[in-house]
This record gives sequence, C-alpha cells and structure tokens, in this order.
Amino acid sequence: MSQALISQVLIGVSVAAILAIAAIGLAVIFGVAGVINMAHGQFIMVGAYTAAVVGQLGGNTFIAIPVAFIVVAAVGLVVERGVIQFLYERPLETLLATWGVGIILEVVMKAIFGPELYYVGAPRVLDGGIRIIGRLPYPYYRLFLIGCAIAMIAATFWLIYRTNFGLKVRAVRRNRAMSGCLGIDTARIDMLIFMYGSGLAGIAGAILAPIKSVSTTMGFTYAVGSYMVLVLGGVGNLLGVPTGAFLIGQGETLIAYKYNAVIGELLVFIAIVIAIRIFPRGIFGYYERR
Amino acid sequence: MKKIKRRTFLRGSAALGALAFGTTAPYYFQRNIAKAQESDTIKIGILHSLSGTIAIIETSLHNAELLAIEEINAKGGVLGKKLVPVVEDPQSLVQVFAEKSKKLLLEDKVAAVLGCYTSASRQSVLPVFEEYNGLLLYPTLYEAQECSKNCFYTGAVPNQQLDDFVPWIIKNLGRKKFYMLGSNYIYPKETNREVKALLEKHGGENVGEEYAPLGHTEFATIINNIAGSGAEIVFSDLVGDSIVAFYKQFKQFGLTPDDLPICTPITTEQETAAMGPENAAGHYTSFNYFQTVDTPENKSFVERYKAKYGANQVTNAVMEAAYFQTYLLAQAIEKVKSTDTDALIYEGLPGQEFKAPQGPVKIDEKNHHTWLWARIGKARDDGQFDIVWTSQDRIRPDPWVDYLYPNKDCDFTNSKVMDRLKSPWSSERNRSGTMDL
Repeated sequence: MSQALISQVLIGVSVAAILAIAAIGLAVIFGVAGVINMAHGQFIMVGAYTAAVVGQLGGNTFIAIPVAFIVVAAVGLVVERGVIQFLYERPLETLLATWGVGIILEVVMKAIFGPELYYVGAPRVLDGGIRIIGRLPYPYYRLFLIGCAIAMIAATFWLIYRTNFGLKVRAVRRNRAMSGCLGIDTARIDMLIFMYGSGLAGIAGAILAPIKSVSTTMGFTYAVGSYMVLVLGGVGNLLGVPTGAFLIGQGETLIAYKYNAVIGELLVFIAIVIAIRIFPRGIFGYYERR
Repeated sequence: MKKIKRRTFLRGSAALGALAFGTTAPYYFQRNIAKAQESDTIKIGILHSLSGTIAIIETSLHNAELLAIEEINAKGGVLGKKLVPVVEDPQSLVQVFAEKSKKLLLEDKVAAVLGCYTSASRQSVLPVFEEYNGLLLYPTLYEAQECSKNCFYTGAVPNQQLDDFVPWIIKNLGRKKFYMLGSNYIYPKETNREVKALLEKHGGENVGEEYAPLGHTEFATIINNIAGSGAEIVFSDLVGDSIVAFYKQFKQFGLTPDDLPICTPITTEQETAAMGPENAAGHYTSFNYFQTVDTPENKSFVERYKAKYGANQVTNAVMEAAYFQTYLLAQAIEKVKSTDTDALIYEGLPGQEFKAPQGPVKIDEKNHHTWLWARIGKARDDGQFDIVWTSQDRIRPDPWVDYLYPNKDCDFTNSKVMDRLKSPWSSERNRSGTMDL
C-alpha cells in the first residue's frame, strides 16, 4: 500500500467517525424507543447553533458539548411530551409528526438567528495536527472527532447494557405491555431515552460545527447520512452504528480518492441498496423472538 | 336551407354584444386604473427570495435595490415621478420565480423587474419576460453564453474575472500548476473550461480537476488529493456551504496560503465572515468590487447601507451590482422619457453609464452585458480584502470568449449575428438546471 493510500484510509476513519457521531443519537431513538425521528437533522442543527452562541459568549467546544446536550435534550423533552408520547407504536404518524417538528425547528431558528451562515471556531488547543504518514499532517481536531465517536458509542453501550436503567429500556423495547405489568414506568423510560438520544444529536451538532458550516438548513444532509448508516448497520445492536459508518465512510472516501466525490456518493448509494437486499434489517438487524 | 328567424337573430346579437362587453370592459377599466397610477408613479418589480435556502444572499440584493430606490426618490424621482417598488418573494423556488414574474408583468404592469440570483431562477423567468415583452435586470455574476433581448446582465461574466486573474497568478505569484476544484454544476464547469484555456495560453499547467456535489461539506479526501497532485495553486469554484467547510478543513490539514494559496472568483466578504476570517486570510479572490474599494461613491454607499440595515452588515459585489443597476434603469427611463419596454431595451439602456461604487460602469451597446472593473483581493485577518491589483480600465464583457467560441457572439445591433446565435443556446441552456448561483 502506498503512503497516500494509507493516509487516505486514516482520513476515511475520521469521515466514519463523523457519520457515527451524527447517527448515534438517531440509533438510540430509532433502535431503542422505536421512533423514526425525521427531525434528527434539525436537532443536530440546534446543537450547532448552541455551539455558535456559546462561542459568541466566549466559550469553546468543550463547554459547548454539555450545554448542547442539555439544550437539545430539553428540546427533545418538549417534543416527546408534546407530540410523540401520543404516537408510540404508530410509526407512520410519528414519521409525519417529527417531519413537521423538523420544519418548525428550522423556521423558529431562522426567526431567531436570521438566514445567514454562523461561525463556530475550533478550540485553540486542537489547532494544527500531527504528522503520521503522507504529505499532510493529521489534524488534531479529526483525532478529537474519532475520540468523541468512540466515547459516545461506549457511553451509550454502557448505559443500555450495563445499568439498571438500560435493562428496563431493553425490557420495554422487547415487550412494552409486559414491562408495564411488571411495574416499569414505560412512559418515563420512553421519555428519558428520547431525551438522551436528542442530547446526543445536540453533541453531534456542537462538535461538527467547527469543521462544517452552520446554517438553519444544515440538518438535512446529516439526517440522510445518519439514516444510511442505520439502514446499512441495523439497529438491533449498537455495533450497527460503527459498522455502518465505517463501511460508508471508507467506501465513499476511497472511491472519491480514486475517482471523484460525485461517483463516490453514487456508488455508495447503489452498494447500500444491494446490501439491503442481502440484509433487509441491516447487518446487525433487530429480529423479534417468536 | 333553414331560414334565420328574426327573433333568433336578435337574441344572438344581444348575446354577442354582452359577451363582447363582458370581456373587454374589465380590460378597459383596468387600463384606465393603470394609467391613473402611471401618471404620478413608476412601478419597479423587485423579485428576490426573502425566504428559503437562498434567502441569505437574495435578501441583501433586495435591500440594496430598495436603498437605491429610496435615494433616487429623495433626489426627486424619475421624470418627476416617484419610483414605487413592488416586492414579491419567490421563496427560493424556481417555479415560483416564473409565476411571480408573470404577476409583476401582467397584473402590476411594472416598468421593469430587478431580480433573480441563481442561473436556475433566471432561466425559469426568461421565457416569461420574452413572451410578455418585459424587462429584467439581473445582478449576479454568471457563466455567460446567454443573450436575451429582454434581459440586461449587470454582474460579471467569466472573462471579466478570469482574463487578468489567471495570468496575474502565473506572473505575480510565480505559480503554474493549478488544481481546479468546483461544485458540480454548470457555473464551475464553464468557468474551469475558460481557466484551462487561459492556462494553455499563458503557460500554466492543469494538474487536477475535481467536482464536489452541491452542499458537500467533507473535504478531507479532496484535500489529500490536492496535496498529492503537486499543485501550486488551488483554483476553487465552490459555492454556498461548501466554501466555508473547505477553507476551514484546508487550514486544519496544515495548508497555509504561503504553501498553497486558494484563488477563486466566488468567495466574498459574506463567506469570509461565516468561515472565520482566520481561515480565509492570505487567500485570493477576483471580483469587480470589494467593500474596501477606495472611491468616494463606495464610501458613501457602505455608509448609507450600514446606516439603513445595521452597522454589522457587509457589502459585496452582487449587492453592489443590484444597487447600481437600479440607477442605470432610472437613468434609462429618464433618457427615453417613457417606461416603454422596447424604448428602454433599444435606446434607454444600451450605452448607459453610471458612477458606481466600483468606479464608472457602462452597459455595452451591443450585448446587454456590463463593462466592469477587475480587481484582485487578498483576504485580511478581519474578513475584508486588501486590493492588490486593479485593472487600468473597465473590462469589456464577452459572453462568448473568442478563444473558446470564435464563431459566436451577441450583438443586438446586428441581426445576422443574432440569427446565428438563436438555435443552439435556447434549447441547450434551459436543459441544464442548476441549484446555485
């Protein structure tokens, strides 16, 4: 393997990390709460604007992360209590309702912040990069993104599989009625997990803002990327997110490196369509026990 | 043969008479109303999106035009009449642009429309303006190769931004190896065609060419490709969100303007503010106008714009064109003493001159485009540009540059030239739908 190709694979890892960061919140809401959240991209956008406001007040990304988590989790709380709690087990209605929520969020943000692009800088500590291989230094910020992706997935894994709360969440996911009979407050579990997923989307917005552009319409591309990750990776297991993100991220960047970005996007879409034929529920699909 | 009875005949003619009155009467009254209004005001259509995805830039064009109208009215209006803006919001939707322009022409009967930003929106309204013989003034820089009797283009065409820029880079920066990067649609592709021709002419070299999907914000791979190509210059025609993401990531990968400057005909003060000036500093942009242009007209334009719309506002080239095209229109109406479309198109606008913020500009006598100044700006730490080069004189607009299209030209004073032009562009151009610029 040539040096350029190795450096390209390393870049692909960071692209996969970006995809995973954007998708993890959606995976929690979709995979655990069973809600198809069409407003996911707009939740990321709200997180990015939170980072912009924190930046204008003199804070940096490290401060923006918890603030964005809290702000967007609060947005999630309002959306869950206001709309989604009435629609559990009715996927088509939640799909339409959250689509509407997304549009409302975009309009509200535009009314508050105006239509212009917002500026969010990276923290000074993460300026520059480290020379690994190839001609270009590897930016510290991309290493930070990879770290964030691992941390977010690990934290979620711990929450769902290693805590008492997570046990209840999984129980509700398996059988809502039976969990209720056994004394689990299912409505509360639903609410908390939706808030947690929303908060993760907020973090995604805050840490992606310094390398991307921040506008009210930015959410859409992240939502598309996140759904591709979930469709390919599956939501039965949290491993689906890193797997899907890695395959798409590497696939897209390697094709873009060899040919160009337009063909990269196209071929990845085709590959996903074929993959869905083979794994209809994604690679780590969720299969009901019968 | 059946005889026509007297009664049937009477009934028939009464019905016909009523029908005739019914159809013509509203038209007659409407005309009178329009005439009554015509006597003391002149209506000007303003057609820029105030909502939707491109509202960011179009709102500022709308603002600049309203500022100009306000100023003209303060100086006594045109032909002693006040200009009245009729504002429509096409919501960034191409089909709404066409509907709204129909409304402006047929219902409001405006003297002319100032409007559009993207090529896609312009191409969707042109058939309307051609069908109803309206007049459109279009302020955006665009890919050229278009000529419509009913449209005047006051933004730059590629030759005005590139013909001096490319040789300047080769000579003054001493860099020959160009890597061309653009968004994947017509404007960047046409621009890069011209850049490639200029490279050949001036001894430069094209070491790579790459197009990213519109709205693309992940540039690590492309940056890696650029670094591996041996390029000495990145020539970028990226638009919109992509610009901000690209400059940010370019710097994060440790590339500085000293190693590898980005040169572009697109990035304005608006984008440098959005990406953070530290990410733009040291890179080059070629434009007719920068906020830092040192003319008395520009100082007062920037001052008045900030006074009206807020001190944190920045001005840019497209806004400046929107501003001065309003004045060109007013002067043209003054010249022909009428708002008649054909009089404006054939006598009022061609050759019309105005002391714009960028310097004196002039509408070409023949091709409906505008003579503009060329400038090269180097981005500063504060998001503004230091102007490092200004052309000696205004540059002639050439919608079909001779070195690429020797047999094509646009000349409304010469019907032979126009006949040769007709067939190829109208069908070909309208097929190529574009999203931005």
